[in-house]
Amino acid sequence: MNPILSFIVILVGIYGLSVSKNIIKSVFCITIVEAGTILLFLNLGAYEGGVIPILSSLGIEIVDPIPQALMITTIVIGSTITSLALMLCIKIFHHYGSIEWKVILKGDK
Amino acid sequence: MVELFPVFFIFIPIFTGIIIYLVKNKHVTSIVFLSQLILAVLYGFYVYHYIQNPNVAYIVLGGWDDKFAITLKNDTLSLTFIGLSIFMWTSVLFYTYKTNRIYHKYLFFLMFLEGIFLAFLQTNDLFNLFIFLELITVLITILISYKKNGPSLKAAIYYLLLNTLGAMFFLIGIIILYYTYGSINISYLQENIGLHQNHQMVKLAYILMISGISVKSALFPLFTWLPKAHGVAYTSLSALLSGLLVKGGLYLFIRVHVYMFGYATYNMTEVFFYIGALTALVGVVLALVQKDLKQILAHHTISQIGLMMMGLSYGYGLSFTGGLMHIINHALFKSLLFLCAGLIIYEYKTKKIYAIRGVFRSMPITSIFLIIGMLSISGAPFFNGYVSKTLIKYSFKAEPFKMFLYTLVNVGTVTSFIKFSQILFGKKVDLEKRKDAKQFVSIFAIGLLCIGIGIFYKPIGSFIYGLDLSYVKLFDLKAWLDYIIYIGIGYILFKYYIDKDYKPVQVIRSFQMTFETANYLFIFYISSLSFILFYLL
Repeated sequence: MNPILSFIVILVGIYGLSVSKNIIKSVFCITIVEAGTILLFLNLGAYEGGVIPILSSLGIEIVDPIPQALMITTIVIGSTITSLALMLCIKIFHHYGSIEWKVILKGDK
Repeated sequence: MVELFPVFFIFIPIFTGIIIYLVKNKHVTSIVFLSQLILAVLYGFYVYHYIQNPNVAYIVLGGWDDKFAITLKNDTLSLTFIGLSIFMWTSVLFYTYKTNRIYHKYLFFLMFLEGIFLAFLQTNDLFNLFIFLELITVLITILISYKKNGPSLKAAIYYLLLNTLGAMFFLIGIIILYYTYGSINISYLQENIGLHQNHQMVKLAYILMISGISVKSALFPLFTWLPKAHGVAYTSLSALLSGLLVKGGLYLFIRVHVYMFGYATYNMTEVFFYIGALTALVGVVLALVQKDLKQILAHHTISQIGLMMMGLSYGYGLSFTGGLMHIINHALFKSLLFLCAGLIIYEYKTKKIYAIRGVFRSMPITSIFLIIGMLSISGAPFFNGYVSKTLIKYSFKAEPFKMFLYTLVNVGTVTSFIKFSQILFGKKVDLEKRKDAKQFVSIFAIGLLCIGIGIFYKPIGSFIYGLDLSYVKLFDLKAWLDYIIYIGIGYILFKYYIDKDYKPVQVIRSFQMTFETANYLFIFYISSLSFILFYLL
């Protein structure tokens, strides 16, 4: 797979961030950017014909294990961020009755 | 044993937090002071050993090859930051202890944040740097939204999303560096960065990492999260955020731009100087028009970050040292101002600057320390702000345009603190005093350090940076004259323009940046940096 494709996923996420008027959509766009990043790194570490890097595959050509080890951590962090952001969305909805950026940023004066 | 101390720095605060959270007893919470004491003692030993043998400061965990293993490394920069963090956390815990000892969750997150921040300062691994960056973001978000009222929740989500976006770009930069060099060990990259420095991919990685760092350190178009977040949190937390945690971004800037890409000859000095100058100017203009005590201080953080950036952009020499010193000095005087403002807000039960009068007669001790903070931030001789501000202008003192920008920032700072000082005047107000000696202990310690650094800067400079700071003179007639002229101009500006609250002032005050615009600006920032690096240099 071409790394350009993962850059396209990242760009879609950024486009979404700069046009979405809704907090939930912004949270999803962050998730998309993150998914693109993970794809990119896994892509750069892999090559055709490589097998998964576990001990039983010694002697065979394996893919680079470091990207996989690092990206699993990134996935964990990403899920933390998403859940925290969604929790904040619920709280904001209880306070302002809306999850539009426009409404909440003008909310209380 | 000594080489394992960095691990203790990380885990002692975290374990303390866990014990507090699990036991949930209001007497057990006092172990925070025990843990701070242990940290301080260990830090003293560690610095003592480091001075005798700098090799002690590099440890590889787990016994792997150090190109892949988790490594911790300390140098002068990280050790100064660690000392500052331990001091700041101790003072904030002292200040907040009486009110917050029953909030076990709050203390848990505060102590956890300390451990993570110390880990962030010591790690020698780019990916761990990213992880700690994200953890700091998450923990700060939780602490900001801890009040659970409307403004704090919206500040928290704005902060979380914008900083996560920045951190994601930082991660993409790390990925490209790993792809090119095959390692994410900072010391290894630092030695070998020259190998591929003209490679387009490495330039792209540099741009993406610097953009992420710029969000984190609130540089010019990307600072919009800072006043929201720092203005709504608890005052003690604001002191910590504004004083120390926002410097995490600048620490990354020094690590990545100055040290790691130091051997790559990207000539970005001018670019970062003007970004810093713009940050400082915009921050000061926004601070001038605010009407809320904490908002004024939060906007001043932006302008002071700009000043630090002006110094740090030179990368070496006295200006760079000035930037480093201004990080420490700003941490001290900004937290002093925030803590004093917190006491005033508590007594007067309002944040509006025009509703508070007569602080000097009603709260004399607090107002003395408030004055110390104001003199420090505006750069009066004999206070610590003067030392670092004088050092910052060393490298560009012969260039008129740069000096003009620098002087504008100084005049703006003085003006807005003349506005701030209006709360001191007026008749005595009857207030019910809160008897809490611990709060004054921390304010007293910080205030004393402000004056101490302002007077004994020469031994401190030669001890920490090994530099002779005799360029700064306390009895320099020109500096005194400058300061008096600044006060004069500032007073006129305040009296005849800011205080009258004309239309432009109101327009700037009502300015709000939406989240979409912030993202557009982020894209714009990346594109302009790429344009400069790929086509102009």
